Amino acid sequence: MKRAIICFVVSISCFLLSGCWDRTELNDLALVTGIGIDQKGKEIELTAQLVVPKKLGAGASMGGNNSGSSGGATIVRSGTGKTLADAIAHLQEKLPRRLFWGHVKVIVFGEKAAKAGIRAHMDFLSRNPQMRLRSNVVVSDKTAKSVLELLPPIEQSSAEVLRELSNSQILMNITLKDVLQMLSGETGAAALPMVTLLPIEKEKTPLETIAYIDRTAIFKGDRMIGSIGDKLTRGALWIRNEIEQANITVSLKGAEGKITSTIIRANTKLIPSYKNGRWKMTIDITSRDDVLLNATNLSLYNEKHIHQLEKALAQATIERVNATLKKVQKEMHADIFGFADVIHRKYPKQWNRIKNRWDDIFPEIEVKVKANVVVQRPGMNTTPQGIPEDEVEK
Amino acid sequence: MEKGKISALQLAMMLYPAIIATAILLVPAITAHHAKQDMWLSPIWAAVTGVITVFIAVRLFNYYPQKTAIEYSEQIAGKWLGKFIGFVFLFFYLHVSGIIVREYGEFIIGNFFIRTPLLFIMGSMILVCAFAVRGGVEVVARLSEVAVPVVIVVIALFIIMLIPDMEIKNMFPIFEHGIMPSLKGAIIPQSWFSECFLIAFLLPYVANQKDGQKYALFSVAAICSTLVVVNFTVLFVLGNITARFVYPVMSAVRYISIADFLEHLEAFVMAIWVAGAFLKIAVFYYVLVLSTAQWLRLSDYRLIVFPIGFLILLFGNWSAPNVMELSHFLGTSTPFYLNTVQTVIPLLLLLGAKWRHRGKKA
Repeated sequence: MKRAIICFVVSISCFLLSGCWDRTELNDLALVTGIGIDQKGKEIELTAQLVVPKKLGAGASMGGNNSGSSGGATIVRSGTGKTLADAIAHLQEKLPRRLFWGHVKVIVFGEKAAKAGIRAHMDFLSRNPQMRLRSNVVVSDKTAKSVLELLPPIEQSSAEVLRELSNSQILMNITLKDVLQMLSGETGAAALPMVTLLPIEKEKTPLETIAYIDRTAIFKGDRMIGSIGDKLTRGALWIRNEIEQANITVSLKGAEGKITSTIIRANTKLIPSYKNGRWKMTIDITSRDDVLLNATNLSLYNEKHIHQLEKALAQATIERVNATLKKVQKEMHADIFGFADVIHRKYPKQWNRIKNRWDDIFPEIEVKVKANVVVQRPGMNTTPQGIPEDEVEK
Repeated sequence: MEKGKISALQLAMMLYPAIIATAILLVPAITAHHAKQDMWLSPIWAAVTGVITVFIAVRLFNYYPQKTAIEYSEQIAGKWLGKFIGFVFLFFYLHVSGIIVREYGEFIIGNFFIRTPLLFIMGSMILVCAFAVRGGVEVVARLSEVAVPVVIVVIALFIIMLIPDMEIKNMFPIFEHGIMPSLKGAIIPQSWFSECFLIAFLLPYVANQKDGQKYALFSVAAICSTLVVVNFTVLFVLGNITARFVYPVMSAVRYISIADFLEHLEAFVMAIWVAGAFLKIAVFYYVLVLSTAQWLRLSDYRLIVFPIGFLILLFGNWSAPNVMELSHFLGTSTPFYLNTVQTVIPLLLLLGAKWRHRGKKA
């Protein structure tokens, strides 16, 4: 009897051990690598870039067979709706597999969508438990779809391209978390990298190119109000202390040709001060550089020339930063530099009085830029190469 | 009734997950909401409650050695009032266990198993805990001894991996609105610390009882420092948006990305959360079952393990209609609720015990 009961219990439990009743196999999922959000009239168009698993990794074994035609490791599908969630529902209708958002690398906003406001989309993107705060966010100068449907020649997807470009930090590198922080921060402004299509080479299909980051979109509140070019963006990066790689080319007085140096390490401090009811901001930049190229006939082993070079580099940096300030602070009135946060941190009491008037105060702040550049090493060359010894100015 | 013996260190190891498991998930957001950039200070204020509660529990235990709170409340307050106080404890621990199970279930479902029925998640956890509780205090203590070091190591690893994404400037300005916001932020965590009163039910089974207080205080210190470090981490990573996330630690851990491949680590959060919640529920469950048996003067508590498990499941199901209300309850009522039962009533009991022992040497 006892044995029978045990046998019964064991066989019953087999039903419980049959595994996951709501399992989702990988081949039932559509892995989304990039999301594009466009405004179409009053509706939102959502474009998802999906991985085509068959094509992934096939390139290596098939050798040259695929060349000529596109790589095609990804496809795009779109859906429209009143909100982003609505659009996703419509997108799902057109897909045999369930959408999976856990691998979204990049979120692209079309310029129109960015100008219409991104807050509602941001809420959805951060509320969804599959989505990641690490995804990069960019704005496209055309539609988001036109960026995602590209089939880049080197990387597997245009989403991957954008992520690598963002991570290289030559221009802005903004993640979903950063956007949320900027939108809910004190500054009332945000800056997002902006991408444009690289012109297509001859004999390539129209999709065989990449989108690259070449500008920065400036947001006031959650709406895009304009953009600045790559030079001004670099100025903004200097102020935001986000500069990682930079080459600066200057010419020295009394010498023909130019000298380019590259930044090894750079640091920017924002120092606010408050006197007689006026705010002042000092931007204190220090950087350590190496010489990359010397097309002049000056020997950089001469202390005097190095000092001259350092001064010129500092001047070039200051000019760059000032140009950015002129455009962004004086014309766009958008505090993408985080001045508000700096003042809040240093003068919390005064900040509480001015925070409601920040939009009026910010353009009026007097900014002083200081730069201190130290050139550390000359590279592999001592005196300039390729000219006779007696023409070098020691 | 309970023949097992645990060491004082094991007591500390049981106390640690009993508080930390839920405190690092929902509480940072509540603290951040009140304290903003001073949120890292709040656990330090909150720990004061833990210290007070431990002192009360140990003093009471010294008056009535080898007795649990249920037993000595009858001796202090008389039969009927004592029974009533015992019933308050029982009902309280039943309700709180239900809430903990619910928190566990909501976290698992909200983040991972979106379409799985809540009852199934809660039920399976209670079933596993029931087996541990039937094993007695030694089993629960040894499980803690195994799991707690793992939990601590994993939390430490998360923090180390988040270092590249930390921005220390997020903690400034300190004391922007004075000390009040950080104190306000401490109100909720301090009610978690009142759960230290659990030791009043466990102390009789500690072998080296003289060390009981020392190790309980050590546990309070460990909990406090863990909370401070965790709050620092989420503050440094998420900054001004910490309060916008239901589970800030989870959101921060999901942000980890090292060398493009060490990412998507949330499964580990789930692992430590399941381990921590298991221990927490097991400790509460054990205390509840043992106290009920003592209250009813049963000879063996094993009989009522499963029936009470079923009750916990029901209370978990009934405790709140949705996460928003659960979070609201935790964010508003807990200081009154948890502190009344676990700090104020014990304090009154202690005063009663002092009065009864007046003239005598304690």
